[in-house]
Amino acid sequence: MIDWLDDFLFRSILAGLMMVSIAAPMGCLMVWQRLAFLSDTLGHAAVLGVGIGLLLEVNPMFGVLTVVILIVFSLSQVANFNNALSETTLAIISHTGLAGGLILLGVLPSNSVSLEAILFGDLLATTHSDLLMILVTTLILLVLLIRHWRPFVALSVSREIAQAEGISVRKEQFLMYMMIALLVAVLMKVMGVLLIAAMLVIPTTSARLLSQNPEQMVLFSAAFGVLSLAGGITSSFQFDWQTGPSIVLSATAFLVITLLITRQISLWTRRRSG
Amino acid sequence: MTPELLLRASNISYSNGGKNILDKVSFDLYRSQITTIIGPNGAGKSTLTSIVNGLIENYTGTLERSHTLKIGYLPQKVYVNTLMPLSVQRLMQLTQRVKDTEVDEALAQTSVAYLKHRQVQSLSEGELKRVLLARTTLGDPDLIVLDEPTAGVDVTGEIKMYGLIGEFRNRLQCAVLLVSHDLHLVMSKTDQVLCLNKHLCCSGLPESVSKHPEYLALFGDQATDAIAVYAHRHDHVHDVSGHQETCQHD
Repeated sequence: MIDWLDDFLFRSILAGLMMVSIAAPMGCLMVWQRLAFLSDTLGHAAVLGVGIGLLLEVNPMFGVLTVVILIVFSLSQVANFNNALSETTLAIISHTGLAGGLILLGVLPSNSVSLEAILFGDLLATTHSDLLMILVTTLILLVLLIRHWRPFVALSVSREIAQAEGISVRKEQFLMYMMIALLVAVLMKVMGVLLIAAMLVIPTTSARLLSQNPEQMVLFSAAFGVLSLAGGITSSFQFDWQTGPSIVLSATAFLVITLLITRQISLWTRRRSG
Repeated sequence: MTPELLLRASNISYSNGGKNILDKVSFDLYRSQITTIIGPNGAGKSTLTSIVNGLIENYTGTLERSHTLKIGYLPQKVYVNTLMPLSVQRLMQLTQRVKDTEVDEALAQTSVAYLKHRQVQSLSEGELKRVLLARTTLGDPDLIVLDEPTAGVDVTGEIKMYGLIGEFRNRLQCAVLLVSHDLHLVMSKTDQVLCLNKHLCCSGLPESVSKHPEYLALFGDQATDAIAVYAHRHDHVHDVSGHQETCQHD
């Protein structure tokens, strides 16, 4: 294997960059369709997946994937998908999964997994096999996104127009939920279950302030994601903070800065035109 | 020469939550014809267009349409999503890739070329309607479905809009399915009228529909203004609220 892949910092930066490149477009779609809460739910329920994985002595990742895909699949089988995604339903699934997972982790031998890593992620502990898994998932998601981008955006704007004009809304929506499940399973490794939604929502919100088009918003989200990653890893090293939370805080810092700058600019232009 | 049949609806019925919304509605749509659905509120007009569009699938009856039938759709109400940045230019390419020159031409038809680079959130209701109407003509559609295209547009705008819809039909050689409240304007521009009140009260050429007792019962005073009289046997009666009182089909 290539030498620099043996450097843990390089591996984690690479993992972070891949994560950002996929979190940007997926995060935008989820924000547009108000699905951020779904990623939270899947993230929390994924703890159950980790527990099951450890119980069956397989890679926890498989446990997580199984659980999140099962949840998305059962939600999609309910006659009206959107009604099924009510806050109450999601909250019940979310916390039942989390509680079940916590109990399983408590019962299992304590040295098998660090609860802290599950909750907050551990970017700096990215192994070779993690890296490979993130790479494969990112590639799958990117290919699907490129192929389905127009329908995904169209149904975010208007399900009615999309369906009438030949897009199979139900199929596209199902595919998107499956992709969210896959995304959550990967992001969990890096960001931890509590912070997944943050990576999907905060850089996208900053990007919204600067963009004129859906595609632009994705590019700006990726840029803000990279900045947050850099800021997070740096401060994590500098102050010995946990990496996941540091990335989130740095994303919020960039959001506040962007907010202040765009507000100031709009004040100036208004003053000039008024 | 008979025009090409694009869509045939036979005995379409639909109920939702035990409530009967459509009852055995049948009609045909032909290329280059404008068909207008009129009827009171709650008559099932939007439901019928949703069935034609494929938005509602659990209806009974049959809908024959080619799989390659290309539709351009203007919904009654579009909720603008402020979470997504969206320029008019990008909105025009929502469901298909379109050349920039075609976008310009389409927007020019409804006199909104100047809105091309504006954000959709910043448009007024009338402006958005015009943009969305222009959008339906892109990509050479076989059928344009317009659900109350003139809601939120002033009267002179309305007249122009109906004129435009006629032009679209002539230029694109497409069928137009229109839902409307405005009887007068609609009557003069339409090839076929479907007078709907859960069931199909009457249908046909505007002149014949406008004489139909059921049509007169539904629209009362408004209807007497519109076009001439034509006697037509009726099979049931409506009360003031539009409810069907008796029905003796034979």
